[in-house]
Amino acid sequence: MNISIARIQAIFMKDYKEFSRNYAVSVMIFLPLILAFAYNKMGTNDIDAYFLPINLVFAVVTAYVQCCLIAEEKEKNTLRSLMLSPASLGDILIGKSLFVFIVTIVIVSLSIFLVGYEPANLFILAIALLLSSVFYIALGTLCGLFAKTIMEASIIVLPVMFIFSFGPFALTFASVYPVLDIAKWLPSAQLILLADALEGNYSSMDYIVPILTIIAWSAVAWLATGLIYKKRMVD
Amino acid sequence: METVIDVQHLKKDFNRETALQDVSFTIKKGEIFGFLGPSGSGKTTTIKILTAQTEKTAGEVSLFNRPAHEMKSSQNRQRFGILTDNSGLYTRLSIEENLLLYSSLYQLPNIAVKEALDFVNLYAERKKKVNQLSKGMIQRVTLARAIMHKPELLFLDEPTSALDPVNTQHIYNGLRKLNDLGTTIFLTTHDMSEAEILCDRVAFLHQGKIRAIGSPNQLKKEFGDETLTVELTNGQCETIKNGAHDAQKLYDWMQSNAVARIYTNEPTLGDIFMQITGSDLI
Repeated sequence: MNISIARIQAIFMKDYKEFSRNYAVSVMIFLPLILAFAYNKMGTNDIDAYFLPINLVFAVVTAYVQCCLIAEEKEKNTLRSLMLSPASLGDILIGKSLFVFIVTIVIVSLSIFLVGYEPANLFILAIALLLSSVFYIALGTLCGLFAKTIMEASIIVLPVMFIFSFGPFALTFASVYPVLDIAKWLPSAQLILLADALEGNYSSMDYIVPILTIIAWSAVAWLATGLIYKKRMVD
Repeated sequence: METVIDVQHLKKDFNRETALQDVSFTIKKGEIFGFLGPSGSGKTTTIKILTAQTEKTAGEVSLFNRPAHEMKSSQNRQRFGILTDNSGLYTRLSIEENLLLYSSLYQLPNIAVKEALDFVNLYAERKKKVNQLSKGMIQRVTLARAIMHKPELLFLDEPTSALDPVNTQHIYNGLRKLNDLGTTIFLTTHDMSEAEILCDRVAFLHQGKIRAIGSPNQLKKEFGDETLTVELTNGQCETIKNGAHDAQKLYDWMQSNAVARIYTNEPTLGDIFMQITGSDLI
């Protein structure tokens, strides 16, 4: 695939300008920050609570914003125009994802700081957070490709946000309903399991399994995104 | 002369409906080719197939002697420009920001933006946001984007449909200038006078089939009746034909100062379209 840094940069800058002027979507970045600040003031100090605002960033910033950006491009036919330019599929997807990726990193970092979470192993956690961002960007892109309008995108992304953000809560009821134990394989649940393990005496398997699980989710999501993009954008 | 577009027996079906059937034409380098037909006749579908946005059902389609599907590559997309009815402009960005994005995608120097804005007479308005523009201005920005990289081949889908006469004339002059520099133009329009002014050759498309193809003059000769109408000073109108009998009549009217006006009955392209297809170009 033909990838051009200059084209990726041009699409990134365009998304930055559009996002900064689109208040309906850009306001979403404050939601997890407010939640993180509130949790800190409540004196919360367990991993599950720390990861509520962090997983919320992935849902309402990463997946939701990416979904809206893609859906708006479709609704206004700007994606079609981009596709008729020399920008390749890679340039468009990387350019559009890079902006949301950077916003995600900034908001996750701020949320960690505001909630008062001090990870025992920042390096391993950072890897898992970066990989989670990649997964949620794919998820947002996928939802955006299915939607025809921004309104439709906001509805399509809701169950996805609910399942992936609040999925780990299902594990609380796993003792009553064993089928809910499947929720532990969600990337959000794996992130919490990994962070929990890092706080005690952990073996390499304690972080390799969650990281591999998140990589597998990302690979499947990006593969599906590539296929749907090619299918949806040819009449 | 080098063939830029070659379409042979093109067919396109959408589910059970046939949009294009046995469409064949070639366009040579430097030609302005008009594709004329009413809404739903298959003009936009043809452009979509030529620009690799839609797959064909059957037939052969090539651009620059390469199969149309190869037009998806970044290198080949540099070779053509396209203006469609959907502007595809970013409404929160200014005219200049939109064009700067595309100049970066085409990897052009920034001066290309100024040249394109001058071409469509919008340089003074460049800081305006797209969501503040009229339909005509949006059309001009889209045209600026289509020609900014000086493509070898330009697809124009109803390029002046939303423009006032002054800007229409400005665009015509610009398109002629581009054509003089060697750009081949594939134009779809409802506007018969536009086709007559701009096109070297036209094709009439009706219900997915090409009904006639040729230069406007050729078609007029083929389908015209070569008569003249003489309007006399007493208000009476007479139609005369070539030949000694009518020549004598005309001579007599002129001798007696009875002629007010004489005009040819050459059909317009719209008349010919109606004659061939039995329907209007709406």
